[in-house]
Amino acid sequence: MAVTRCTKMAYASADDMVFGKAVTPVKTGLELEIGAGYTTPEVNYAPRPEAGASKEKLIKEYERITTDIMARMVQIGAPAVVLETEHVQQMSNHPDWGAAVAHAQKTIMEDYHDEYGIKCALRHTIGDIRETRDFLALRGDKYSVFMEAFEQCAQNGADMLAVESMGGKEVFDYAILRNDMAGVLYGIGVLGSIDMEMIWQDIASVAKKNNVIASGDTDCAQANTAMFIAGGLLDKNLAHTLAIIARTISAARSLVAYEAGAVGPGKDCGYENTIVKSIAGVPIAQEGKTSTCAHSDLMGNIVMQCCDLWSNESVEYHGEFGGTTVQCWGETLAYDCALMNVALNSGNEKILRDMFVASDIYRDAQGYVLAYQNSYRVGQAIAKDGNDIYLRAKNAAIECINIVEEGAKGKLELSRFEAKALADAKEAFEALTDDKDQFMSDCLTKYKQEVKVFKPENYDL
Amino acid sequence: MEVKHLIDIDPSGILVRYNVKMEKEMTPEEAAEELYPKDSMIYPIAKAIFEGEEDDVVEGLEKAISSGKDPISLIDDALMVGMGVVTKLYDEGVIFLPNVMMSADAMLEGIEYVKQKAGRAPVVKGKVVCHVAEGDVHDIGKNIVAALLRANGYEVVDLGRDVPVDEVIAAVERESPLMLTGTALMTTTMYAFKEVNDKLLEKGYRIPFACGGGAVNQDFVSQYELGVYGEEAADAPKIADFIKEHGDNIVKLREKFHKH
Repeated sequence: MAVTRCTKMAYASADDMVFGKAVTPVKTGLELEIGAGYTTPEVNYAPRPEAGASKEKLIKEYERITTDIMARMVQIGAPAVVLETEHVQQMSNHPDWGAAVAHAQKTIMEDYHDEYGIKCALRHTIGDIRETRDFLALRGDKYSVFMEAFEQCAQNGADMLAVESMGGKEVFDYAILRNDMAGVLYGIGVLGSIDMEMIWQDIASVAKKNNVIASGDTDCAQANTAMFIAGGLLDKNLAHTLAIIARTISAARSLVAYEAGAVGPGKDCGYENTIVKSIAGVPIAQEGKTSTCAHSDLMGNIVMQCCDLWSNESVEYHGEFGGTTVQCWGETLAYDCALMNVALNSGNEKILRDMFVASDIYRDAQGYVLAYQNSYRVGQAIAKDGNDIYLRAKNAAIECINIVEEGAKGKLELSRFEAKALADAKEAFEALTDDKDQFMSDCLTKYKQEVKVFKPENYDL
Repeated sequence: MEVKHLIDIDPSGILVRYNVKMEKEMTPEEAAEELYPKDSMIYPIAKAIFEGEEDDVVEGLEKAISSGKDPISLIDDALMVGMGVVTKLYDEGVIFLPNVMMSADAMLEGIEYVKQKAGRAPVVKGKVVCHVAEGDVHDIGKNIVAALLRANGYEVVDLGRDVPVDEVIAAVERESPLMLTGTALMTTTMYAFKEVNDKLLEKGYRIPFACGGGAVNQDFVSQYELGVYGEEAADAPKIADFIKEHGDNIVKLREKFHKH
């Protein structure tokens, strides 16, 4: 598949963006349409620790999970549901395991669809297994197993294929712990984009061949690592102003999936998705207050603003008073979607969207930049130089800094630490060249020397 | 200009920016200045450690050695003193983790330099074996743990990521560490911790096994006999210090470090 760079915005204005509607809706699964005027819960889960002991145990675990979710959705009258199976490493390392799980899940979903007419689809997110113990091995032997995992899942029941790819993580991990903004830009914006360009052309081909949907990638491995390390208001592990810079750079990276043939929906943990949606017009999944079972963040409501699927990120399967965890979280998601769908049906969607935004926008610099009006601005900065993966990522970072600085003159409060980190980052980005080749050459020299596990051949460099 | 939003709200009614409210008056640099040693030979080394300036650390060490200071003694008397300022201010919430990482890099560079100068290895506080669970390649948490342990004067035997259970056991047998750490991101990989625990017990090792990371929680870690849960990476050196001071009783360690 060819790569077509995004150099224009999909939406004429930020205000046109809303939950449940996308410029290019996606039909998938059993009568489901995503981004076509309604939102749908996407339930995501992890098996219990001991379930990974054998293929049979894992399949049984996912059969229970699938049945529980489908049964609860029918019990509460939810019209639609998406199930997302994020592969545990055993399923991607042994593609027949992932395929068997997909088949078992889809069989159950088809039964529920046949009996009750519930619209549903199955997303399988393949694990990025392209690593040896010592290094990322993005190209080479592991790549064929990785692709085989997509192929077998597509052949055996998965309606949507996704991944959380790891390209650039070796440099990013080193850089983010040292406030090294050039390294963050290189790791996410350049190396991540180079890797995605390779894998997403192949994933899109697999999807096309098997008549399923190539859905998307998130920068979970990098931007979410930054968000997770940044933590809450009192944590001192990473300035939140730096976490949001990493996030905006990740939008320039995650966009590559769509440029290489994916059609969405983007994956739930891609908090950069509102920016991506503004440029590519694809439907997106998001997670926020409903993902507190997996992690805490400062954007519980605001990220609902433009979601098409509403997810819980991941919950370990076990019992609660209200049922199993997937039933409890699935039900919560379904009620949130019902509220958004009422807003859509009654013409109140923009009011509800803006209430989601207003509730979180001043909580932290991260939410402030991800508010749809500001996301749109970051999107414009990316699209402006859409043909240059370096410049567009740098533009995103600089626009992010501008937005936070403007916010800090208004109601967005920054601590002195956050402001200092932002100022240092601004200085670092302003000192960078506009010449991609120069930047590539400088970074190659620097990180080959400083990051022992960085192997340029992973990126054909 | 700040972008106007359709619903204009007064944020003070819906959130409290505790971090802004609680911010200390003193800047990190001012706070560090109060803690540096006064000795004119040691001061620049400690300051260079705080600032994470590797070249300045080595330059300060060169000067101190030329003036007659014993190279190895400079580890405890200068490098660790500077690192002590860093870890104190990190614990107090005055500085951020990246500052600690950069300072740790500078300190390790300094230690390498004095080792070369002295031609022998320094005495360390103790040895810790660190690893990422078998099947799991996510190692940023382990890298933070290892850096913080080294910053606090411990020798770290870093087994890396995706480490087979038997390799962990062999390392414990070989190295006789004061504790073992394990990190994991996913639920099905953290199950390897239980296997490590069972094999250690089989072989008669009752070594504290500090575990944490992504999906790892206290309930899971409490299920196996040697497990001590660390909620944050910064708990690792504190657990090691506690073992040195109070022994390796798992019950006491859990009383101290289990928070839920």
